Amino acid sequence: MVSGNMSGHSNWPEWVYVGVVIALLCYVGAEAWNIERIVEHVPADAEIIKVTGQQWLWTFEHEDGTKEIGELHLEKGKAYKFEVTSKDVIHSFNIHDYTVLMDAVPGRINVVWFSPTETGEFPIQCREYCGLIHYNMRGTLYVENGM
Amino acid sequence: MKVIFGLGLVLSLLIILPSVQYVLAAGDEPAEYLDRRIEIWGLFYRLMIVAFTVGTVVSGMIVWLVLRFRESNPKAKPTEYEADGKW
Repeated sequence: MVSGNMSGHSNWPEWVYVGVVIALLCYVGAEAWNIERIVEHVPADAEIIKVTGQQWLWTFEHEDGTKEIGELHLEKGKAYKFEVTSKDVIHSFNIHDYTVLMDAVPGRINVVWFSPTETGEFPIQCREYCGLIHYNMRGTLYVENGM
Repeated sequence: MKVIFGLGLVLSLLIILPSVQYVLAAGDEPAEYLDRRIEIWGLFYRLMIVAFTVGTVVSGMIVWLVLRFRESNPKAKPTEYEADGKW
């Protein structure tokens, strides 16, 4: 039988190690949870934009019924809530410059929101392989100064 | 001791942490306009610091163990089993 009390042997470094690992995991989990909570909290005054993906283009519908295909015009400083869905296969709606990324799934509406902080043109792209012309399923976001 | 520790771990994973998350996500605070780039990339960099710190500590520990407990280390001394055959 192996003695648990070998001379010069101590268990405490292992317990410290285990404790540090658990503490770090808790920190990582809590921090990620908290940021997700903050980021997903949509402001009440956000304008809803319906985003529909289909092979191989993006359609956007504003609250007033205006539709855009392949391009999206937004105002700087306003909050926008995207309701993302798909007509055919799974796509993924991505505005890389604003870290906006949400899957577009048929029969499901996924929500993501953001508020543009700079004017300019920003690429919109599909981030989920969706068929032959996936590479060219792009659009452009135009952020303009408000009226 | 180990039972209590394991129980605490299971409880915290199954009950305490989801409860905290539920409470925090209750939405009793007004949502603020925020720059998600700052939040998300900030989170990424903080977690990268954790990841690289862990990597440094673990690899440093392994290097130290290998050097300290090699047979050719002048400080090395045989264990009781190796010296006297005591088990």
